[in-house]
Amino acid sequence: MILQALKGYYDRKLSEGLIAEDGWIQGGLDFLVELDTEGNIQNIADLREMLEKKKKSRRTLLPNIGKQALKHTNSGKDANLLWDNASFVFGIGDKGDTRLQSMIDAIDQWIGETTDAGILAVRIFLVKGLESRKHFSFAFLNPEQGELFSEGNVKIGFRVLQTNYQTVYESPIVANALTKGVRRTEEKNDPSVFRGTCLVTGEADVEIELTHAVTKGVWSAQSSGACIVSFNKDSFNSYGKHQSFNAPVGLRAASHYGKALNSLLESPKQCIHISDASTVFWSEKKTAFETDFSFFFKEPDKDDPDAGVQKIKALFDSVNSGAYLDDDDETKFYILGLAPNAARISVRFWKIGTIKELACDIKQYFEDFNIIKPPKEPEYYSIWRVLVNVAIQDKSENIPPNVAGDFLRAILNDTPYPATLLQAVLRRIRSDVENRVKPVRAALIKAYLNRYYRFYQNSKYKEVSMELDNSQPSIGYHLGRLFATLEKIQEEANPGINATIRERFYGAACSTPVTVFTNLLRLKNHHLAKIENKGRVINFERLLGEIIGKLTDFPAHLGLHEQGLFAIGYYHQRQAFYTKAEEPK
Amino acid sequence: MHNWCLEVWGDYACFTRPEMKVERVSYDVMTPSAARAIFESILWKPAVRWNVTKIEVMNPIKWISVRRNEVGKIVSGPTARQMSGERGEPMGIFIEEDRQQRAGLFLRDVRYRIHGYFDFIPPERRAENYSVAPEFWADVQEQDEIVRMDETPAKYAAMFERRAKKGQCFHRPYLGCREFACDFRLIDSSDETSEPIDETRDLGFMLYDINFEPDITNPTAQFFRASIEKGIVNTDRREVEVRG
Repeated sequence: MILQALKGYYDRKLSEGLIAEDGWIQGGLDFLVELDTEGNIQNIADLREMLEKKKKSRRTLLPNIGKQALKHTNSGKDANLLWDNASFVFGIGDKGDTRLQSMIDAIDQWIGETTDAGILAVRIFLVKGLESRKHFSFAFLNPEQGELFSEGNVKIGFRVLQTNYQTVYESPIVANALTKGVRRTEEKNDPSVFRGTCLVTGEADVEIELTHAVTKGVWSAQSSGACIVSFNKDSFNSYGKHQSFNAPVGLRAASHYGKALNSLLESPKQCIHISDASTVFWSEKKTAFETDFSFFFKEPDKDDPDAGVQKIKALFDSVNSGAYLDDDDETKFYILGLAPNAARISVRFWKIGTIKELACDIKQYFEDFNIIKPPKEPEYYSIWRVLVNVAIQDKSENIPPNVAGDFLRAILNDTPYPATLLQAVLRRIRSDVENRVKPVRAALIKAYLNRYYRFYQNSKYKEVSMELDNSQPSIGYHLGRLFATLEKIQEEANPGINATIRERFYGAACSTPVTVFTNLLRLKNHHLAKIENKGRVINFERLLGEIIGKLTDFPAHLGLHEQGLFAIGYYHQRQAFYTKAEEPK
Repeated sequence: MHNWCLEVWGDYACFTRPEMKVERVSYDVMTPSAARAIFESILWKPAVRWNVTKIEVMNPIKWISVRRNEVGKIVSGPTARQMSGERGEPMGIFIEEDRQQRAGLFLRDVRYRIHGYFDFIPPERRAENYSVAPEFWADVQEQDEIVRMDETPAKYAAMFERRAKKGQCFHRPYLGCREFACDFRLIDSSDETSEPIDETRDLGFMLYDINFEPDITNPTAQFFRASIEKGIVNTDRREVEVRG
């Protein structure tokens, strides 16, 4: 289903003219070698563009005669047609001669005899260079470029000044050769060619791809690219098949899904990276939901922070009105989460849904996270922000593995959040001595508990509300409120104190209240005595009386859900103090 | 040709897609080959060849992502030196050197009802299994008459029903991968009709089975266009086109 959906996306993009067709591929070129008709170098043009202080290759459409367009094998015999990296163009390294020869062979096999001045010039250039590398010496005159060329990784194209084409491969002869699809091994009866049924398109008796093209753009995978369909160890083979003959996919289908996936991973709007899962999404037909989907989950752009908020508001309105902007509700929407594993890519999750269902699920996700907040907090939290706040030291490398994928899957399937998420956030609250219950953590606990009890109905549970709720039956909630009140009393009694009971006693108070609260209640009397404003004292005592009135006993132990409610009660009460303090007296 | 129905259920299942076999991703529903394997685990003889006609999905489709430690090497046979008993390299695989972590996207809490029948293969058409020890008969008449006189489909049908009712099997039936063992139960057509899930969608091309017929050393995979209609997948070979 996955490969088929990707191929469907390729077909859709091809009909819109937005993706490279067979024989071509989107790639980058760094330099252009300018030749004259005799194959001598006249000039080297630098095509790179400055992007955020780094030089990046220029994106352009390149001839694609096979997988070598994305990644070369080690043999040195798979050159690209009329462009390649410096080690092939200038014959660098031990296999330099082989590489130059293979560039010449590529021209001969795909184009053959020709009168095109540009192609001939390139061929003469390569042949002369094969005889003697001194022919290339002009290119290495510039020390900075020379060094880049010697490393061999920069991509180089050709241009012949006397012709009209910007690059030699723009000539229609090349386009002709590529569309004819002349293969190196033309014979149909070549025994090394395996024919079978393609499992993506169902076509019978097509040539089967041996190794699939790599996918670049999955975070933390090998930089040279990794494969979804790869059998790189003997223990992965079955029935005596080798490599991708274990999963028969036709040549064209393989190239199409590869291009579709690469283009999705490159596009900033249709790919988001959440912890270790790179997620791509697309719809069956062109929709506004497809381009807006990323806004629901990613961090807002620094230049345009409100764009995300507007899209989310549009989403809320859409669910009320019944359609997301002008999209057709029943259009299928695909979401694919990929995670790297060295040279392979594993599928973390895969979901097919209609736009209507997904819009509802995402709206539910945002509603669950709604909680009363201090004024400077962002209105909606991105997934990244939520996950980073449950990681050790708030660093994204420390996000617990699998949680990101499970979290996203739970959002999209409208199921309770993974239990590991609640455990992680409670652990982080206990270890984060400075901040304890940040708004984002309180929102997460509220969302977790409400979703859990929506799924597993329990009459004793009352849904956690956005702000302070006096009628909440949970004991943990009121203990949290009590803790917040006692802390406020201590702060008012000793203004400017560094370490309140929050730093010292939070952990014990939320997990084993009976050990801590009796002590704290005794100490509060001394704090209350120190406060000068007697009116405040009376207010505090009234509040304490109200909270303790809800408790019958201090439990010896609070379970995880109750500890979550403790955190929320603590947070709600603190927010209530701040809003009361802002009221004009 | 009698059609039987087995209900199978288990905690996990992985009907691996061939294209994502290394980092396993399961198909959404059971493959016909996996269903055939369950019938075969209860009863298989050279006289029967199982065919699966229908797969009903009883539980909603749920997924789980798991990462497991596996092995990256195939054990090779002992060398002549090792067979002779001389001291040398130890045999076997050391996991510290050949560990491969493979992630998998499996199905969770599955329950299916699979319907199937078997083709009876008469003795003349079976591939001969020659026993190692010679057989002794009193005379030629006995050899012709007694041997294989009771070969009928009914015999095997009765064997299967008896074994399925008792819960007997040659090896524990499994859902896709050996480690996901399942339980099974024979369903009598008369009693209890429970409802499959209400889902209708196209599942793309799904593996039908592996075809060993033309060349047993080089089997080819067969695919069919699967679609789930109100929770039922039609896998009857007589009705569905199987390619490859």
